[in-house]
Amino acid sequence: MRISIPPSWRTRIYRYRLTATKCKKCGRAAYPPSNICRYCGSREVEFIDLIDEKARLITWTIIYSAMEGFEEKRPVVLGILETVNTKARVMAPLTDTTPEELRVGLMMEPVLRRIINEGGHGLIHYGVSYRPLLKSTS
Amino acid sequence: MLPEENTGIVGWGSYVPRWRITLEEIVETWGFNPEQPKELRVVEKSVAGVDEDAVTMAWEAARNALARAGVNPKEIGAVWFGTESKPYAVKPSATIIAEALGITPNAMATDWEFACRAASEALRTSIGVVASGLIKYALVIGSDTAQANPGDVLELTASSAATALVIGRREEAAAYFEASASYVTDTPDFWRRDNSRYPLHGEAFTGEPAYFKHIIGAVKALFAKTGLKPSDFDYAVFHQPNGTFPIRVAEILGFTKEKVLPGLVTPLIGNSYNSSALIGLSKILDQAAPGQRILLAPFGSGAGSDAFSIVVTDKVMEKRDKAPKVEDYLNRKQLISYALYAKYRRLINRID
Repeated sequence: MRISIPPSWRTRIYRYRLTATKCKKCGRAAYPPSNICRYCGSREVEFIDLIDEKARLITWTIIYSAMEGFEEKRPVVLGILETVNTKARVMAPLTDTTPEELRVGLMMEPVLRRIINEGGHGLIHYGVSYRPLLKSTS
Repeated sequence: MLPEENTGIVGWGSYVPRWRITLEEIVETWGFNPEQPKELRVVEKSVAGVDEDAVTMAWEAARNALARAGVNPKEIGAVWFGTESKPYAVKPSATIIAEALGITPNAMATDWEFACRAASEALRTSIGVVASGLIKYALVIGSDTAQANPGDVLELTASSAATALVIGRREEAAAYFEASASYVTDTPDFWRRDNSRYPLHGEAFTGEPAYFKHIIGAVKALFAKTGLKPSDFDYAVFHQPNGTFPIRVAEILGFTKEKVLPGLVTPLIGNSYNSSALIGLSKILDQAAPGQRILLAPFGSGAGSDAFSIVVTDKVMEKRDKAPKVEDYLNRKQLISYALYAKYRRLINRID
């Protein structure tokens, strides 16, 4: 699977550092970032990085019929998480775990991983996945 | 005063993937001599997951090092990445790491190549550029998802891990450098041609003329330069391709086994190539007391070694708990089968 280079390049910082926007009016944070607050419509937003924040697992899905390019990651586990301080909702792959270890409320942390690998000749697109806290899987 | 004495390790950090395979499992798969793991003194090796590579592991090690350093990423003047498992043959890994950590754009960023010693030479060079005042801090990283031909004896130890060091001025350092020395020759002990997936090696040739000669050469050069002797050191960390070589080279040089064991992690995770000696140093910094002296001597095939004399300062105590320790990663482990390891490390040929 080939990903168009310009959009991947333009979004690299957002993907690497989990850059979100926080509304100065209603205070809510949104990921991916948007110049307009998706909750109150305000255009007064600031950019913040969520990469240092832990998050709680809200829900997840397990994909057995993975799309082209994701076969090696089967089963693909996608989660929706809420960051603990800013309360931003993030959808991201879950990693370093097995479906049996997952539960609602599980505390997780963001890590940089290979999200899409375009075979042996194309680009590698990096981004954030969430894993259970380091010490919780000891 | 040597230039080294103006510089030190301001932050350090490592990363080890969660997944492990026992050597017993590899021995059973390929019909090796069941005694081989005992001879190598290695029980398990770490395996990077399917979504990991040398860049992602370096990112986490570097984040740990930056957390301990407590410096603004924009003040990092060089990101030097030592690896022999670059995800791209052409396209720097160092820029991906620098971008992800917020270091870009006003910094140097380069990948170094010298088998397992690339990060070590980057470390010695970083001392020079920091001592000269050209840059304030350098981020030096050794990270590898070491490759081995399936069924080759190398497969028993070739593992995955990363270690990062932030080098800066001595006043801010958790440990400062006293002196350093290098020893390199043209030695064909281990190599990989540009179209080869896996490296080849000279079997027994990797020992005496390569590992032992170069490490001993570098350490003796350091001793000659400084007048230091083995009894002056509290710890000794050598490149650790297996669990036996570091102990044997220590004995030859006159270090007791007790000074080597605290930094010896290969028996638990295998040989992580560019992180091999550096993760030993990282583990020692996690536990050493101020005033203690460490000998660090990485090695890389081809071949070369560098020896560093490092003295721990009071600042080690306040930095230590700011990031996960090597022990935390060693304790986080999950055993996997040979089949899963083969999938994670892409040893199975697929059309993609």
